[in-house]
Amino acid sequence: MDKWEYSESIESDSIVSIQSKYGHFIDGKFSTPNSKKYLKTVSPSTEEVLASISVGNKNDVDSAVNSAKEGFKIWSKTSPSERAKYLYKLARLIQERSREFAVLESMDGGKPIKESRDFDLPQVAANFFYFAGWADKLDISWGTKEIKPYGVVGQIIPWNFPLLMLAWKVAPALATGNTVVLKPAETTPLTALLFAELCEEVGLPKGVFNLVTGDGTTGSELVNHEGISKIAFTGSTSVGKYIQNAVGERDIGLTLELGGKAANIVYNDAALDQAVEGVVNGIFFNQGHVCCAGSRLLLQEDIHDEFINKLEKRMQTLRVGNPLDKNTDIGAINSKEQLDKITSLVNEGVNDGGELFQIECALPSEGYWYRPSLFTNVQPSYNIAREEIFGPVLTTLTFRTPEEAVEIANNTEYGLSAGVWTEKGSKILWTADRLDAGVIWANTFNKFDPSSPFGGYKESGFGREGGRHGLLSYLKVRS
Amino acid sequence: MTEIKKTYKNYVDGKYVRSESGKTYTIELKSESYELPLTSKKDLRDAVTSSKKGFDSWNKLSQYNRTQIIYRLSEMIEGNRDSYVELLVDHGLTKSTANKDIDNAINTIVWYAGLADKWEQLTGNLNPVDGEFFNISHQEPLGVVFTLNSDEVSIDKLIRSFLPSLSIGCSVISFSEKNAVLSLKLAEDVNNSDLPSGSLNLLSGDFTKVFDDISRHVEINALASYKKLNKESLKTINENASTSVKRIFHLPSEDGLSSILPFIETKTVWHPKGR
Repeated sequence: MDKWEYSESIESDSIVSIQSKYGHFIDGKFSTPNSKKYLKTVSPSTEEVLASISVGNKNDVDSAVNSAKEGFKIWSKTSPSERAKYLYKLARLIQERSREFAVLESMDGGKPIKESRDFDLPQVAANFFYFAGWADKLDISWGTKEIKPYGVVGQIIPWNFPLLMLAWKVAPALATGNTVVLKPAETTPLTALLFAELCEEVGLPKGVFNLVTGDGTTGSELVNHEGISKIAFTGSTSVGKYIQNAVGERDIGLTLELGGKAANIVYNDAALDQAVEGVVNGIFFNQGHVCCAGSRLLLQEDIHDEFINKLEKRMQTLRVGNPLDKNTDIGAINSKEQLDKITSLVNEGVNDGGELFQIECALPSEGYWYRPSLFTNVQPSYNIAREEIFGPVLTTLTFRTPEEAVEIANNTEYGLSAGVWTEKGSKILWTADRLDAGVIWANTFNKFDPSSPFGGYKESGFGREGGRHGLLSYLKVRS
Repeated sequence: MTEIKKTYKNYVDGKYVRSESGKTYTIELKSESYELPLTSKKDLRDAVTSSKKGFDSWNKLSQYNRTQIIYRLSEMIEGNRDSYVELLVDHGLTKSTANKDIDNAINTIVWYAGLADKWEQLTGNLNPVDGEFFNISHQEPLGVVFTLNSDEVSIDKLIRSFLPSLSIGCSVISFSEKNAVLSLKLAEDVNNSDLPSGSLNLLSGDFTKVFDDISRHVEINALASYKKLNKESLKTINENASTSVKRIFHLPSEDGLSSILPFIETKTVWHPKGR
């Protein structure tokens, strides 16, 4: 089936105003970096330079941590219901300026406007609303009043859901009475900088939210800073391990939300068309830049050919291109570096003997793009079946029995998420009980909600974000 | 008549064993001194193998059954109260403090016994997600837990270092140093309580000789120290643990619901609602 032609429907970028240069946000105001160093943030869909952002050095991180310490003195004396109101106000402002944030997110990160507008931004506001409501109920959240915040929390977030990851980190941290020094990803700092403006606008007390932009060296300064009482990190398992190592002799809090290589198990009694949709959403959502992406398709052997046939047809209808086009399904790969990583892993998969299917489509001449890809004829030992590719690449493995499906699914160091597709309820529960994963989607995939805890088993990290359980990541609870 | 003195051994996989190294260390009490196994790295690896199996067998039992097994431990201790009191007095406690400690220990066991089939109702919940989904945060035990016990002379304190993780389904390697006589004495009642082999292994020795290995061992899922660690140990432990993202808990809560929280993995399951 040929793809229907759509007319372009471009979301206007006139709603955003990007400054040419940004400082850090410390002590309630924007400041020029002590480092005097800047790096350029680029639109991955056009390769156009959007702005220069400050690269925080030790002194910048020092100032931010000191500001957060001062902020903690005020914030810890602010009544819980007042804290709640600040967060509610932030949630409201985010809703009001949602379109502006969504466009900026798609420009800076490359994700389709359809997703930033309909997924990221509504979820961001929802997270602030949800955790705002916990701020004055912490004493009943876990059945004890013996709870207290850590103090200054250092938070490092990735580039795949820049503002949503900020919301996942900042909303619960502030609700529980901590103050924050946040370091956004090097390639996607712009929505975090816009968020800082909102903090100024709602009159959040100085020092409660601090933002230091930069690269890995900035993150490292933050992680190693003696003034931090807790570190919360989302990103790769290798950096997570670096951070746990760097904690060293310090007796501080740590939560890690790391990589994944989720199995998406399709049994032969699944509703196949629904499963195809779920598998497509599972891996191609956000260009596959998702730690919980369903990147390993586990098919029961007898439906393999039929399923792959349906899947390839469905994949061919995916529209790759301009993130600001409302019809776009797959936007730009976030950076040149990530594109190179995906390309190299896929080449390795082909060399190993995997059979590669890529959809036929034109790709824009500028920017970083990758065609939705599917591997079949894969051995579990291939790197494409073991390593997190973090791109629009799905790897297929087969199984005969439920026991074998579980064994293959768990045969990884990761344990973040998994999917199960079957019309049989008892099989869902049997399988879910046996999967080592923190989030399991049955007959659905990639669903998120602020009330739903998210986080991994094994080397996918520890601690949960979201829900009542997410509060524990920011509270010290005794008794 | 010549008095017979008890030899204390490690309790691993449901058996009383000496260290394979043959090494011992001495614990001197007021009237008696004991040679205890100085646990070696090899002993520890054996304990981990046993704990892996113990985790499965402990989890095969229903929570109702686990409740009764833990409760039985309190019955056993009550039955042997005099021998515990005698041993605690030999450790320097007064008779009344020793009795009080046993009272506390029994109360603690009874509390955790009752928790074993209720904790998930307290820590798990449905989540009110926005949309037509059933969404539940199911709670699971972390796996194999290594605990370093405090040096305080107290059966209650000792029990509080393994019951939080054990009662929710983890298997535990409980490691004692200066108060190891108490722990290995307790092994006898653990053995009589129908706990499956390997669900609770009790070891004695010098933590500084084994912590490098423990924190590196990928099949130990978590290390909980109920004894304050010095900065140097903490550094090594965190560094080693980072190679497999092992969970490290330094001085976790020993009281109430918060005592079990570190040892839980939350598994959240989504399913659409529809017709």
